[in-house]
Amino acid sequence: MKLCKPWEHNLSRRQWLGSVAAGLGGLSFGNLLQPAVADQLKKKNKQVLFIWLDGGISQLESWDPKPGTQFGGPLRAIPTSVPGIHISEVLPKTARQMHHLALVRSLCTKDNSHSAGVARIQRGDPKNRGVTYPFFGSAVAKLLGPGDSGLPPYIWIKPGSGGFKHQDAGFLGPKYGCLAFGDGKPPENLVLPNSISEEDNQARLLLRKKLDQRYAARRPKRSVEATGFVFDMAEQLRKRLDLFDLNKLPEKDRERYGNHDFGRHMLLARRFLEAGVTFVKVNSYGWDTHGDNFNAHMNMVPKFDQAFAAMIEDLVARGMLDNVLVICMSEFGRTPRINGHVGRDHWPEAWSLVMAGCGAKRGVVVGKTNDKGTFVTTEEYDIGHMFHTWFTLLGIDPNKTEYDNDGQPLPIAHPDCHVVKELIA
Amino acid sequence: MNADAKTLAKQFQPKQTKVLKPDRQLVTIRFSPCGKYLAGGGFDSIIRRWDVAATEPVELPPLKGHGGWVQAIVFHPDKRRLFSVDSWGQLFAWPYADKNPQRLWSVDKAHDGWIRDVAISADGKWLATCGFDQMVRIWSTDNGKKLGELAGHGCDVFSVAFHPSGQSVVSGDLKGVVKQWDLKTNKVVKEFDARIMYKLSRLQDVGGVRRLAFDPLGATLGCAGTQPTVGANVQGTPTILLFDWQTGKVKHKMTIGGNGDGFVFDFHFHPAGFVMAVTSGNPGTGKFFFQKPGDAKPFFLATNLPNCHALAVHPDGKHLAVSATNPGSNGNGRQLKNNQYVGNFSPVHLFEMAGA
Repeated sequence: MKLCKPWEHNLSRRQWLGSVAAGLGGLSFGNLLQPAVADQLKKKNKQVLFIWLDGGISQLESWDPKPGTQFGGPLRAIPTSVPGIHISEVLPKTARQMHHLALVRSLCTKDNSHSAGVARIQRGDPKNRGVTYPFFGSAVAKLLGPGDSGLPPYIWIKPGSGGFKHQDAGFLGPKYGCLAFGDGKPPENLVLPNSISEEDNQARLLLRKKLDQRYAARRPKRSVEATGFVFDMAEQLRKRLDLFDLNKLPEKDRERYGNHDFGRHMLLARRFLEAGVTFVKVNSYGWDTHGDNFNAHMNMVPKFDQAFAAMIEDLVARGMLDNVLVICMSEFGRTPRINGHVGRDHWPEAWSLVMAGCGAKRGVVVGKTNDKGTFVTTEEYDIGHMFHTWFTLLGIDPNKTEYDNDGQPLPIAHPDCHVVKELIA
Repeated sequence: MNADAKTLAKQFQPKQTKVLKPDRQLVTIRFSPCGKYLAGGGFDSIIRRWDVAATEPVELPPLKGHGGWVQAIVFHPDKRRLFSVDSWGQLFAWPYADKNPQRLWSVDKAHDGWIRDVAISADGKWLATCGFDQMVRIWSTDNGKKLGELAGHGCDVFSVAFHPSGQSVVSGDLKGVVKQWDLKTNKVVKEFDARIMYKLSRLQDVGGVRRLAFDPLGATLGCAGTQPTVGANVQGTPTILLFDWQTGKVKHKMTIGGNGDGFVFDFHFHPAGFVMAVTSGNPGTGKFFFQKPGDAKPFFLATNLPNCHALAVHPDGKHLAVSATNPGSNGNGRQLKNNQYVGNFSPVHLFEMAGA
């Protein structure tokens, strides 16, 4: 994975606003060929929770166990709430939520390196058209818009540094990048300094609006609206700083998600989904288990299991799973072969993801691998198939919707791939 | 090298004699007390047996019935029984010297999940097991009856050993805590601090006390593992801590190699006062070494055996076996040989110690 630049780690509110405003054009649907589609989408209030297990969770120690076989490893499989579907024993809580989930066990993708794989998967592996495609989060931010929450349309909750990640947006332009909450904290300097009172702040905002009006008289309307929008968004986020304070939630909630980074970040993700953010990405790092793979999975997967199952349970309880598309995946799976360091290496040939909600079929397994888990025995699905499927679930027809890249029409999903119909309810 | 070490190096210089080639990977190997048999527990839930008394080792019919990995095996000191545990929570007893051994008894749910280790008391009456379910349990070797349950670790328990006196058992966990349990009261007597063998790296608890062993007199407790620096592709320096049994304080800290060399997977005390150990780290790296406690360097070191996971010492003290890994065991993506996707295996290297 490309390393972050040091300056990206200290992006202040001012820099963030500046970065967003820099690529103006406004958070509108102007780059879609069919603006009418955008209005329809906006009304549907679809949302996405995208959970990224960076480095590559082992499919054999999670969604596609092969106990008692040559490459099956030491762990057992357990039954789930759906008769006939078994997953790894380290996912007991998720097993009880299986009737809400769809497993895809027939992913076969192309890259076995992190550096190429992360971007290729998250951009949907488009055909090379001489442009950099947006990450799925940026694409959804573009296609569905920010909704009515007033909050940024694409946020990323992750360990480590935060800031505005404009690179995700590709040719859509920086405004569709993501706002990363490093360690689940709000952007630096978002909180007003003690020296500025609320009255002072309101006076500042009023002054800005007046200056904007004067500025607007001599500038294109679109630019001015966008500038105003991002300031308003920052102001809105500032008003919702309560979202970051998990201590206000019942102790039981925090316990259910787990007393670890991933649990806290998933709980925060739930808060932002409830607040109406369109696309919430949650990252967990450290899944590149070339060494000590089994102890790592026995240790980490239960933590994932706890938070993931709690999230599904809560989305169901709140009636949100009908509108929130939940996706959990990595850049690839892990080799069936167990290396001398008792690890598994990178394996894009036959791996799995789990998804749920937003009209996805529930309690199903799509695709199959052979008895040893080495290769796919049914139709192989690349990430392009998944993009077609996810867009369809979000109410966006991937065959009819195109990006307008300054006059260049571009498909939103790989034209050689198609929707996986077995995943659509 | 000091004079003592030079003397030891002359006396205990392993020379490889043969290589056994099971077609799968092994977790552990051990010699029987009579010295005639070598047994190995595998990733394929099978216990392999070789008759190593013959001029050429002969592979005997395997012991089948386990699930997952056969994680650890231990021989009874005199009753011709072998006890084995697996990653699916099962504990079995076998008449290992029979031509086609049938299980003597079995405990199907000895632990909930992966049993990490099994040890036997010096008098052969008791077994101790430990596992992922955070428990240590004591069993009768006669019939597999549970005699005791030692709770309190609060995390995965990786290793267990009986003190030679038979009064205590020790257990080492993922977070580097070693507990000494009184077998009369089943209470913790004291703890040994091996927490340098643990690190929280992102979500992952890395490391753990992977093996425990006592010197023949029971005056020193050895704890083996790694000093981890990072998880995922786990990196760390192979380490053995030698504790004074009475005071609980560290007498010696032995490290070998660097950050990529991983774990000390197995080790034993030699009656002559040195430690014999094997390591495995990044694919291709492995060390087999002898070192006297207090010395800065080993007096014997072999680095040509990739990823060594087990070391067995023959009862005659002159023969050894090291379970390693085939070269070229790793690699990303589709790597086919003759259009087949092949797995790795564990060559077992047999050694004789010249001069011993």
